[in-house]
Amino acid sequence: MFHSGLAAAVMGRMKSRFFPPVFKGGLHDARTATSIGRWLGLAFVVCFVTGLISHVLQHPPEWLADDLPSRPAWGYRLTQGLHVASGIAAIPLLLAKLWTVYPRLFAWPPVRSVRHALERVSVAVLVAAAVFEVATGLLNTAQWYPWPFSFVPVHYAVAWLVAGSLVLHIAVKAPEIRAHWSRRSPGTLALPEEDGPSRRSLLAAVAGAVGAVTVTTVGQSFTPLKDLTLLAPRHPDHGPQGLPVNRTADAAGVGLIPAERYRLTVAGPRPYTLTLDELRGLPQHEVELPIACVEGWSKSAHWTGVRVMDLLERAGALPHARVRVVSLQTRGGYRVSEMGHEHAHDPLTLLALRLNGEELSPDHGYPVRLIAPNRPGVLQTKWVGRLEVLS
Amino acid sequence: MRTSVTRVLTGAAGLALMGVGASLLLDVPDLTGVVVWLGGAVVLHDALIAPLVLLIGLVLVRGGARGPVRGALLVAGALTAVALPVLLRPGKPANSSVLPLDYPRNWLLTLVAVATVTALVLAARRTRRSRRRPPS
Repeated sequence: MFHSGLAAAVMGRMKSRFFPPVFKGGLHDARTATSIGRWLGLAFVVCFVTGLISHVLQHPPEWLADDLPSRPAWGYRLTQGLHVASGIAAIPLLLAKLWTVYPRLFAWPPVRSVRHALERVSVAVLVAAAVFEVATGLLNTAQWYPWPFSFVPVHYAVAWLVAGSLVLHIAVKAPEIRAHWSRRSPGTLALPEEDGPSRRSLLAAVAGAVGAVTVTTVGQSFTPLKDLTLLAPRHPDHGPQGLPVNRTADAAGVGLIPAERYRLTVAGPRPYTLTLDELRGLPQHEVELPIACVEGWSKSAHWTGVRVMDLLERAGALPHARVRVVSLQTRGGYRVSEMGHEHAHDPLTLLALRLNGEELSPDHGYPVRLIAPNRPGVLQTKWVGRLEVLS
Repeated sequence: MRTSVTRVLTGAAGLALMGVGASLLLDVPDLTGVVVWLGGAVVLHDALIAPLVLLIGLVLVRGGARGPVRGALLVAGALTAVALPVLLRPGKPANSSVLPLDYPRNWLLTLVAVATVTALVLAARRTRRSRRRPPS
């Protein structure tokens, strides 16, 4: 990727000795672009689809809100882990792909026809949106927000720009892609034969780079590899009670809630209020469920507490009732979350009192937090003070 | 040049998806900031990253071990790019479970690993070559 003979990059007078620059090095060809491009395309498809899943689970449209599936329990852990891993894998692939096609930036004449101009504009959108998406996504995992806009809606909108301009790009380039798809394709055979070993070595290096960035980061969600987690912003073992957190009790403005003053209110056809001791006296269930954060980290844990379905039944809720979960937190977003009937009536959905056999720590939501299957971490409401039966 | 129906439909689908993105962007309050960052992404790559990579290649990738040296630089570059946010993020993290590791040390470890693997590959190559051509 690094040995291009860039004869001159000085952009002086138009069509001078220096401009457009001449690229003497090899591998700026359609076969290399096709080989890297299809892996990059695959990474983007995985990233886009898993991103859509995450978006729908976090901000469900009205018509879907009540039908979100609560199974498989590990669903969001898998899709969001893949989202961040495929985004990270796309970084070396995108850089290598852009390096391969970089000489085309200096195509001469710059515009040959209206069609050519439109094609160049669409490529500019694709490059801008793709670099923007991987850069903002990566910075978001480190909770670094140097931009003036809100991350979630913009990252979501630009994802559609990437997807659209990528599909358009594939349509435009279809003949070239086909001509260079395999080693025996006609276009590939027309390229200088001596580039072959160099290309294979480059592709092996790109594969090695994808492997290296994956292995050093993916342990933040794929815990068997946690010991190789060197560059990820989270580590599964770091956090209160051995579990990472996003918003602490201090940040949420709740601090340590005194046990004797805690009350859980369940609002419904037959409303009632429970003290913490009364909650502890109800039938307790233990479940193993992951906390899976939108930023990509996740870890499974053992939770003990009261089934939400039992609490709802006691309040006289119908089997298809939706439920609103309200936190006692006074600061920060996601104070209130809602669950469709599948999550609300899933026997795995608990108001948890204990984590891995210990009482919840304040940062994990003491005294009571929600834990439900296949649900983004931000919606696993902590410091729960109120359940409301909605319909 | 014949343009197949599938190709046209695929292109149209791409335009439609781009339209979804554009209409979603129009709802964003600070659109100027987004446009500046989108344009900045292209300028950053085309005017800085790409020329820098080409220059590094021109200076460092030469001689008999081009492939492995290029591979080592590529892997090290990718690791560095991915590590930039955790290495450079200013300010105190939200809590002790955010950015909990010693990232400068870990980043250097990954670079040492890349250098070691490259040295081993080069050594193995040299051994293989000298075995193939025993000294006369």
